[in-house]
Amino acid sequence: MTESGFTVDVDQNQYLSEGGREVSAIVTVATAADAAGLASPGPAGAEADGSAEIIIIDCSGSMEYPHTKIAEARAATAAAVDVVRDGVMFAVIAGTNLAWPVFPVDGSMARADAASRAAAKQAVASLRAGGGTAIGQWLELARQTFARYPARLRHAILLTDGKNQHESPEQLAAAVRQCEGVFSCDCRGVGTDWEVKELRTISTALLGSVDIVPDPSGLAADFAAMMQSAMGKQVADVVLRVWTPQHATVKFVKQVAPTVDDLTGRRTLSGPQAGDYPTGAWGPGESRDYHVGVEVTPAGVGQEMLAARVSLVAQSPSGTDVLGQGLVRAIWTDDEALSTKINPRVAHYTGQAELAAAIQDGLEARKQGDEETATAKLGRAVTLAHQSGNEDTAKLLAKVVDVVDVETGTVRLKKQVDDADEMALDTRSTKTVRARK
Amino acid sequence: MTGEDGLPDGPLTLEGTCPSCGAPVGAGDSFCESCGTELTPPMVSTAPPGYLAECPVCSVDPEVPPSVITAEGYCESCGRKVPSGRDHSELDLGLLAGVTDRGLRHTRNEDAMALAAADAPGGPVAIAVVCDGVSTSPRPDDASLAAAQASVRALLTSARRGDDLAEASLAAVYSAHQALAGISSPGQAPSATYISAVIGSDAVTVCWLGDSRAYWLSTGPDTARLSTDDSLAEEMIARSAMSEAEALASPQAHVITRWLGADLADPEPHVIRFEPPGPGVVLVCSDGLWNYRPEAAGLAELALPGALTDALGAAAELVKFALDAGGMDNITVVLAPFPLAPFPEELPHTKTVPVRRQATLPRRTPP
Repeated sequence: MTESGFTVDVDQNQYLSEGGREVSAIVTVATAADAAGLASPGPAGAEADGSAEIIIIDCSGSMEYPHTKIAEARAATAAAVDVVRDGVMFAVIAGTNLAWPVFPVDGSMARADAASRAAAKQAVASLRAGGGTAIGQWLELARQTFARYPARLRHAILLTDGKNQHESPEQLAAAVRQCEGVFSCDCRGVGTDWEVKELRTISTALLGSVDIVPDPSGLAADFAAMMQSAMGKQVADVVLRVWTPQHATVKFVKQVAPTVDDLTGRRTLSGPQAGDYPTGAWGPGESRDYHVGVEVTPAGVGQEMLAARVSLVAQSPSGTDVLGQGLVRAIWTDDEALSTKINPRVAHYTGQAELAAAIQDGLEARKQGDEETATAKLGRAVTLAHQSGNEDTAKLLAKVVDVVDVETGTVRLKKQVDDADEMALDTRSTKTVRARK
Repeated sequence: MTGEDGLPDGPLTLEGTCPSCGAPVGAGDSFCESCGTELTPPMVSTAPPGYLAECPVCSVDPEVPPSVITAEGYCESCGRKVPSGRDHSELDLGLLAGVTDRGLRHTRNEDAMALAAADAPGGPVAIAVVCDGVSTSPRPDDASLAAAQASVRALLTSARRGDDLAEASLAAVYSAHQALAGISSPGQAPSATYISAVIGSDAVTVCWLGDSRAYWLSTGPDTARLSTDDSLAEEMIARSAMSEAEALASPQAHVITRWLGADLADPEPHVIRFEPPGPGVVLVCSDGLWNYRPEAAGLAELALPGALTDALGAAAELVKFALDAGGMDNITVVLAPFPLAPFPEELPHTKTVPVRRQATLPRRTPP
């Protein structure tokens, strides 16, 4: 482990055949196992550089049907509040077609201690359901609330049970854009009446996770776990800075483990030949893999080029801090044994990204009534899931299709599919399994 | 400070006079410029370890922002791995290629070459500049590199604009002169020989000071030397006082009468324009090569026909020839086949060689 507590490793086949342009590499970023080993002033405290947390609870009318939904949501919020560490600034927001502060009621944030946590839980206990759903409004209030306090790590948990019905998709998209880079957000859908794509758009933009909690009774454990993970984050606003040589283009930058997340479009220019891709906040003991694709101008056989330099950069008001660095190389050779060798990890993650896309496309086709496309796509997904050893995804697929032959991807769509199973497959389609080195 | 071999880094000679002929010699000189007597024991290169300080391709292009070389030896601009040190480097720009080498007897490579290729309005243009640092001047290695790079930048800009190449060549000498003024200090005038060749679709423009040379090599009778040396030997031959063989054998043969340096305010460079009558190769070289084979016909025999199709390979062969013949001086060879090839789509080729080899002569224990 380096001084910063971060390591950056590059795995690739650096050999290209004569005239070859495509360079592909898996970049693994890992952090030290113990909190003390991470570079940033460790566990974020109460000071201006500390953490801030907001829990956003859907209080629309549908949360009353069944009544357990609002009850479990209250309990889950209380469970999450219990996990908020002393000194962390926190707040709870309720959302319908409007949004309002539940705790503190004046729209400020409270410093966590035994008293404030108790007061928050009391306020949450009185929450009632009634009204519509306008998630953009909720996010906007969270943004305004966060903005009142300087904090290094800003994180929110958003719970909903329904579709964004009381504002336009454009209004929601605009609100999400405003929140990008301000805070990160983990999204949860309870029940089966919400839209996977909608929540995934929010969680992707805000560098968080998305998942389904089909049974409200599962909420409390899930909320506590999410808050626990958020409390573990120490280094905020970390970006992958990708330098490329002149006349080269970055074709894509994707997170590929633990989940697939395409960051290609998130590039912001950080120099004449460099772009930054957000990775959010990091805690101890984390490891994420990124797939980087670059197109370079070929050089002659025997020549070597630095195709990309991937730096992990933490940005703070005091400046930028390079936490680690990896080099992606290109060497042109006329030895076909070298240039045609497929890097197993590049191949594995290419397959995992295809798997996620096949599931999402297949489910979309199924929704549209295009059974032929749905069968082909989901069949391909079954093959990929088995080949790559992604057993969780294979199990979820088996609830949506009857598998006839794994190798050829021959499947039949099930006539009766539980909505929750279909949504679980959709939300978890991006989960990948690690490739062994 | 000691080098990897346990010998002290840096020159061992005292400033003063040559013990053999009495001519003045500078600290850091390996050989007496007058009589060729060895002044310092041969040792491994004293060049700092690691890579060239600048990318040999990007640093000559004024349109590319100045870049640095990373600790791993990559150019921050183009990403190419750059050659490690000046002992031996190879450069292939497609239209032309060159090889420079420390030789066997000198402790460092004081020759410098700078090459560029322009996709000019009137068709491709190849530019070669070779400078040989004057060993009796301070920092001759810095002088040759600074002059060659300043000149090639100016020539590249002119060629891209489609300027008159004779005027551009003279202006480039001025740029190189300014660059030397920039690294000189009172009483210290780093100096170098200078030769540029700008090759277009129908002619070659050659401009020079000193005794680095340009040749036109072909399989026909048109094979010829294009430059004349600014040297005592050449003057004696011109005055018919001696035959060429006698002149070159005399101890004063390599004393140059013009050069590029801050101490020479108006160096009066020569410029000629040559229109090749058919296909052939333009050779630009330092005296490390032509000392062993001065006649154009002899060089043509060595270089052709290989140089017509593989400039880099032929340049490497010519360098090897000079090394095999003794490698007494630094050797630089640049070849450009004429007519020029189409402007290349591939990136230029730079060779990365670690320390090529150690001096082959036995070392003396330093005092």
